[in-house]
Amino acid sequence: MAEGRVVRALLLEHATVALSAAAVQPEAPVLVRFPHFLRGLGAVALLLAFSACATPPPVTEPEARAEFEATNDRLEPLNRAIFTANEAADTLLIRPAAEFYRLVLPEPLRDGVRNVLSNLRGTNILLHDLLQGEGERAARTAERLIINTTLGLGGIFDVAADHFDRPGHDEDFGQTLAVWGTQEGFYLVLPLLGPSNARDALGFAVDTALNPWTWIGQGPVVEGLRYGRTAATLLDARDRAIEPLDRVYETSLDPYATLRSAYRQRREAAIRNQDSPGEGR
Amino acid sequence: MTPPLTSLGRRALLAAPLLPVIAMPARAQISPEAASAFIHSTGEELVAVLNSRDPLEERRARVADILRRAVDIEGTGRFVLGRWWRVASAEEQAEYLRLFEQTLIRNLAARFGEFQGVRFSVGRSQARSEDDVLVTTEVQPADGAAVILDWRVGLVDGRPQIVDLVAEGTSLRLTQRSEYSSVIQRGGGRVAALLDAMRNLLARGG
Repeated sequence: MAEGRVVRALLLEHATVALSAAAVQPEAPVLVRFPHFLRGLGAVALLLAFSACATPPPVTEPEARAEFEATNDRLEPLNRAIFTANEAADTLLIRPAAEFYRLVLPEPLRDGVRNVLSNLRGTNILLHDLLQGEGERAARTAERLIINTTLGLGGIFDVAADHFDRPGHDEDFGQTLAVWGTQEGFYLVLPLLGPSNARDALGFAVDTALNPWTWIGQGPVVEGLRYGRTAATLLDARDRAIEPLDRVYETSLDPYATLRSAYRQRREAAIRNQDSPGEGR
Repeated sequence: MTPPLTSLGRRALLAAPLLPVIAMPARAQISPEAASAFIHSTGEELVAVLNSRDPLEERRARVADILRRAVDIEGTGRFVLGRWWRVASAEEQAEYLRLFEQTLIRNLAARFGEFQGVRFSVGRSQARSEDDVLVTTEVQPADGAAVILDWRVGLVDGRPQIVDLVAEGTSLRLTQRSEYSSVIQRGGGRVAALLDAMRNLLARGG
């Protein structure tokens, strides 16, 4: 179960990186609710981060400067270093694990895993639909939760999408913050998890804390299930990304820059709820 | 009596109505219907080649031919190079456009296998700006889930041409612009660094 602990430790680290990021964002009131010791850790991370800061081009080059602002990657040297480490971890461990997962579980079973994970996120999605004032989408999410938990046998089958014409969508706290007017903050590459930004990293930490399944129950079985869920989430996400990522590496002259731009654009579409339906099924 | 300046002025005045035609890129408005019809016919043509049993080289040549006709390679290439276009020398610009076209063809050719048995349907199309229309298509591979692809179509020299491809909110030309600019910056602000990287990628085959 050491991996689980590593993942947990990483989550905490994300939280502190995100907080350190939020510390320089005046529009992040959520920060004040966090305990002081986390902010202390955040300050350390902040120091580390800024020791590897990219220098903005001089004002005499307005175009270069505009591009620097648009790229929004003040921590590029640090981000590139984490990206390289992630690539190594991916080649050695994560991708082979995802390939093994794909090899041993036939597609219908993997779909089942995906559906269960999505159903477990359901309460969070519902909360964010409501926080974003999306009544219709909230109702849809609630219906999906009820239908899939019962008729879908605990979420294994997406009966709501397949038989009741109620396809799912994803939401997270990063999107809710965006709808509330929070800027994205600077671009961040998270260890193991990849592209993010200050706002979304904070959102990720808060979502983990908000999910009831992070807290409900105790004992070795429940703990085991929790680790299992974390592992399955990683495997499912990497399994889905095998072909798209291969394509990026086949065609891109700078995969780091390509993924940075693609992440940004996809998040913008997701915030406007223009991501394709079925995402987050 | 008449100073030469005035006659020049009059001549300039006569030429004035022609100026916008010369100065402005040859773009005009395209109707959503025309854009849809264009995407439909181009898509049919592409799918026919992709699903044919001809040898790979032949299919590749025919796809390259379709792309050259259907894509605004020069306009898109210039957009993707962005602010570096003016930094590049005339030779670099020409070489860049040549490599850009080859890259486009290579990247599509590398995915021929995936497109076997593909089907597509054209959905709605809507005017997105003064000079282009976004046409939505649903592409259904032989196995796997359908993908929604949006094609941005403009009128170039009076003919409809593809200027961008958008998948799940991600614009290909924006992503590529970011990628190319990063390569140039990391290469010390030299467009030559990008051209080298493009040549290397093409040499890797596909």
